[in-house]
Amino acid sequence: MRAIIPDALKLQLRYPARAVGILGALAMAAAVFMPWAYGPGALDNMTLWASPSPLQLFFGVLALLVLALLAIPLVGKPKLGRWAHILAWNTSAKTSAISALAMAGVAAIAIAIELGGVVNLDPGAWVALVGGVLAVTATLFLPDSPPPSLERVKSAKWLQITGIALGMAAVLFGAAYGLGLSDAGAFLTFAAFLVGLVLILRQFGVFDWLSIAAANNRQVLVLSAFTVAFAFPFTQDGSDATMSVAAQVLIFAATALGLNIVVGLVGLLDLGYIAFLGAGAFTAAVLSESAFATIDFHPPFVITVLISGAVASLLGLVIGAPTLRVSGDYLAIVTLAFGEIFRITMNNLDGNDGPNLTHGSNGIPGIPDLSLLGFDFGQPHVILGIDIGRFANYYWLMLLVMGLIIVVFTNLNHSRIGRGWVAIREDELAAEAMGVNTFALKLLAFSGGAFLAGVAGAVKAHYDVSVTPDQYVFLESAFLLAAVVLGGMGTVAGVLIGATILKLLPEKLRFFSDYRLLLFGLLMVVMMRFRPEGIVADERRQLEFHDDSEELADEVEEELIAHHAHLNPDREVFEL
Amino acid sequence: MELFFQQLINGLSLGALYALIAVGYTVVYGIVQLINFAHGEIFMIGAFGAFATWTVMGRPADWPATTALLVLLPLMMIGGMVAAIAVAVATERFAYRPLRGAPRLAPLISAIGVSVFLQELIRLFFGTNPFIPSSSWPVRIPGWPDAKSAVPFPSVTGISGEIISIGGVTIQMPAVFTLGALAICTVFLWYFVNRTKTGRAMVATSQDPDTARLMGINVDRVIVSAFAVGAALAAIAGVAHGLRYGNIDFRMGFLAGLKAFTAAVLGGIGNINGAVVGGLVLGVAEAMATTFIPGQFGSSAWKDVWAFVLLIMVLVFRPQGLLGAKVVDRA
Amino acid sequence: MNKRTFKLAGVAILASTLALAGCGARTDAGTGGATGTKVAKIGVIVPLSGGLSAMGLGIKNSVDLAIKQANASNAIPGWKLELAAEDDAATPDVGKNAATKLASDDAVIGVVGTLNSSVAQVVTPVLSSANIVQVSPANTNPSLTKGADLTNPKRPYANYFRVCTTDAVQGPFAAQYLLGAGIKKVATIHDKKSYGQGLVENFAAAFKAGGGEVVAAETINPDDSDFSAVISKVKAAGPDAVYYGGEYPQAGPLSKQMKAAGLKVALMGGDGIFDANFIKLGGTAGDLATSVGAPVETLDSAKAFVEAYKAAGFAEGYSAYGAYGYDAANSIIAALKTSLASAADAKSARSATVTAISAVSFEGATGKVGFDEFGDAVSRVLTVYKVTDGEWKAEKTGELK
Repeated sequence: MRAIIPDALKLQLRYPARAVGILGALAMAAAVFMPWAYGPGALDNMTLWASPSPLQLFFGVLALLVLALLAIPLVGKPKLGRWAHILAWNTSAKTSAISALAMAGVAAIAIAIELGGVVNLDPGAWVALVGGVLAVTATLFLPDSPPPSLERVKSAKWLQITGIALGMAAVLFGAAYGLGLSDAGAFLTFAAFLVGLVLILRQFGVFDWLSIAAANNRQVLVLSAFTVAFAFPFTQDGSDATMSVAAQVLIFAATALGLNIVVGLVGLLDLGYIAFLGAGAFTAAVLSESAFATIDFHPPFVITVLISGAVASLLGLVIGAPTLRVSGDYLAIVTLAFGEIFRITMNNLDGNDGPNLTHGSNGIPGIPDLSLLGFDFGQPHVILGIDIGRFANYYWLMLLVMGLIIVVFTNLNHSRIGRGWVAIREDELAAEAMGVNTFALKLLAFSGGAFLAGVAGAVKAHYDVSVTPDQYVFLESAFLLAAVVLGGMGTVAGVLIGATILKLLPEKLRFFSDYRLLLFGLLMVVMMRFRPEGIVADERRQLEFHDDSEELADEVEEELIAHHAHLNPDREVFEL
Repeated sequence: MELFFQQLINGLSLGALYALIAVGYTVVYGIVQLINFAHGEIFMIGAFGAFATWTVMGRPADWPATTALLVLLPLMMIGGMVAAIAVAVATERFAYRPLRGAPRLAPLISAIGVSVFLQELIRLFFGTNPFIPSSSWPVRIPGWPDAKSAVPFPSVTGISGEIISIGGVTIQMPAVFTLGALAICTVFLWYFVNRTKTGRAMVATSQDPDTARLMGINVDRVIVSAFAVGAALAAIAGVAHGLRYGNIDFRMGFLAGLKAFTAAVLGGIGNINGAVVGGLVLGVAEAMATTFIPGQFGSSAWKDVWAFVLLIMVLVFRPQGLLGAKVVDRA
Repeated sequence: MNKRTFKLAGVAILASTLALAGCGARTDAGTGGATGTKVAKIGVIVPLSGGLSAMGLGIKNSVDLAIKQANASNAIPGWKLELAAEDDAATPDVGKNAATKLASDDAVIGVVGTLNSSVAQVVTPVLSSANIVQVSPANTNPSLTKGADLTNPKRPYANYFRVCTTDAVQGPFAAQYLLGAGIKKVATIHDKKSYGQGLVENFAAAFKAGGGEVVAAETINPDDSDFSAVISKVKAAGPDAVYYGGEYPQAGPLSKQMKAAGLKVALMGGDGIFDANFIKLGGTAGDLATSVGAPVETLDSAKAFVEAYKAAGFAEGYSAYGAYGYDAANSIIAALKTSLASAADAKSARSATVTAISAVSFEGATGKVGFDEFGDAVSRVLTVYKVTDGEWKAEKTGELK
């Protein structure tokens, strides 16, 4: 995808190109203060002169980045000193310009659609688009910079911690702002901004730097991530609508993480995973205080959770024991069949075709809210002057469950068991020959993953108020799998991102809902074709999927060296 | 006893449907060790292809039995086959071929994507012209039904609704058609595999792809023809399904595909005769379960559960299937 | 605890405050405008996408029509009504998000929905905690109004009402009709969904009480297309008619396969099969269905609705539940006439609306609209329709005693 412009020409044209680029950036910056739309109905009201809307200000950030990246090198290499190498000035400028143009484009299309025609674009939008095109064309003519070396900058601990904290704060702010946008066009425009920003920061090498900072400050990272997630409800000012989506995202993500152990670590394709979530939910429902519960035994929730998990993992054993001995392909279909068996059975246990356990397709409604240690999850509480409603309560509970799952996941991943799993995934025969008890390990992963899903299901039952068999269909299993695949098999961050995208986008882009599944199917095929390792790639996984690519192997090695260079002061590093 | 023979007939004709689809799984698996998860959708596409052919022909109704059987039915079957083969070959080309050599998880996930995509494609775009921009995009072609819910399948004089009674046992003509189609297809497959060049290349490739390549066999072409043969049979099954149940819908491939895969495993995956036997056994087992399992669990609501339980039992006690799998697991 | 942790805590707090401060958006100048009229919204929660969207869109359009008519006639002086339609995609998860969204909108005062009983089970609690009245045009599950134990009914949610009749009315009416036609041996089949199962249970009880005999009771799965096993078993029992509890996508093919297998008796069902698609998918002459209310041709209020709907020029037809949606919206509007009369804003009038709606009574598009002490519809007038010449024709209208 490299532009076909000869390097000699680039070198010749570098000053005019820079000038044109700066001009484009200035135009974009000016557009921030101009109206973009004719009517106030589109996006977040972009009709005013000299009073930019939040989205316009975000656009301004991109414009200023382009400006800075193009203008600062003009002071000359000597003055820049080390910084000339630390940042990839020209390449980043190109990425920034493309991002800005993309954002302006999305905004313009959204305005045109929402107001019914291109006529409704005011001068600001045109100036932004023209400026964007200028900047992109100009930056294409700039010579490529050497790759950035920000990650080699040795930085003090406090700086790393601040970096992590700032990153987390940015995540919190982005999530709070993005979730608050109810207009689909505005949400898409903001999403375009975020994607652009992430690409630019990656170009800066910020993520490499951050990952090193994170590796050095593991606890800080975990703690601050948790703090940010915990603080999230406070940014919503008691808005139930957002918190309800957020809680659902967490339930979905927790289940996907459980599936990630099975699929991502051990490489067993489970297509009926939703059945384990359902088993947990039904167990919790049947044991709850609901008037429809069919078993007259109502233990406290802590016990119910354990029973739900145990029931799910027992099912995992029952289904796993016979099938884990045969090839992995069979497992996929057997789990799929098991998912169907589960759904049909829950439908049939209605007193008509079997004992009455689940009320058939009516399910078990009226499940009461949880009450743990005197804290009633159904009631709103006022904390720090902010209303924290029912959904936020469940959000926090799910956060705890999620924390638990992540701890289990990462610890297992780095343990003897985890290495055994990876060995099985990569070559089962070799693993067995090396003395790994493959069957036992696979069974452990399968039933362990089922246990986690069962726990998530128990919370979901109370959160949902009602449990019915038609919530646990194959498509839901496919969505869980998609979250794992999209985000990156075997990684925690990837699955969280994948789950968020898959739950959040349909919620925000309602007008699109009819085409959701179509795109979903296409996405799976395209991902497998072009980026099977997912958005956030597990390094080992990436090599596995591209084992013929020498270049990538070198790259990974290079990264490892860079990483070690940091821990190992012998190598030449920059001082900041 | 009468009920027993009635259910036997019901089961055999249902099983013949499974068998026709199962052949597609088995042929493809035998050669590339891939569970073509989207094969159920190819079956669905075949049915819709036949329906589309009928619509293009101006919805002929009430043709006399001879012309209906000799002209209409063959044309509908050909239309279904063309559609199914085209989609199957395209799927192979764009979704599976690029992933050859990737870890086995990749093509399986891709197949799930294809499956969902094809279902949605039919649901959203059947009978539309999506290339005309409009506020009510996609634009429907006048006279075509939409496939958002079940579509009534055309009836063919001489088959639809006709029955034969033998001493209290009723045999429906669509069931006879399905069984007959299976018989003819089995003979054709036997001939194809054992007597034609492509068929023998297929066998060679399934036994050892690398040596086959060295022997000058174009493995890519062999794989494409495996997909095409499976698709053609699935399309016939699609027509049989339409005639038997009177309507088709975009979701019909999911459960049918799952059952057919069960049939393929039952007979021994990779073994063509096994797929036929497995299909028939599965169909009969399902029909018998609804009649002869006593109590609440004998209700027909449980028949799918019994079919899948059978699948799991086979994997436990005889993973190579009834007739023995022809491929050893290379995993 | 070392210095690092302190620094970290400081940084985290700083970051959080920054983010919190950043959350304020530009004050929007767009709401309302101080023109004197206040706005109240009537929400709709139905499937607007997916397989059931045809029914959902019919309900949404009908509610829209009722609101437009109310605004045009200035039914509630000083107030302007608006429609707030949300998609539930026929799934509980999505439905709950929709309900939460409507509940947190202070202008919403009533909700028409849902289509599916399973969605209602999660939507009603959310709306109930916000005191918003909910009128369903289509939920037939009795436990929504009478609680878990039907023999000892207890109303679970005071804000929940419905304008459609429950299975407890349709089933017995069908039984009376068949007994009146001299049919004594019937087989029942249902699809195990709450609607179908409820219908069959109520039918069977009334049929046996009237002296008939249920010779076979079978079930099918809602996503089945092969009914041969069930038909063989039913045929062996030799019934004079088959009563089917379920909806037309299965009932049509079932009727067709019954006749093909040589079981040439009538299939009867509830309003779930009273749809033109039933005949397209295989329903044959002589098949029967019950539906609530008198036939549209005989009812002036119904004719007025059909004409107004056509005149409004909606892209979609009003479908099976449009008339119920129209009545549901009008019952809310009727209640608003009392509750909004002296209210300062919509939110404060929510509980008054719940009280006012129980007293509502008028002639709607489906017949008499009103609610009993459980929130169920009072109308018990039903009509039996029969497939004749490829069309549903009214056979007998009557009231269930």
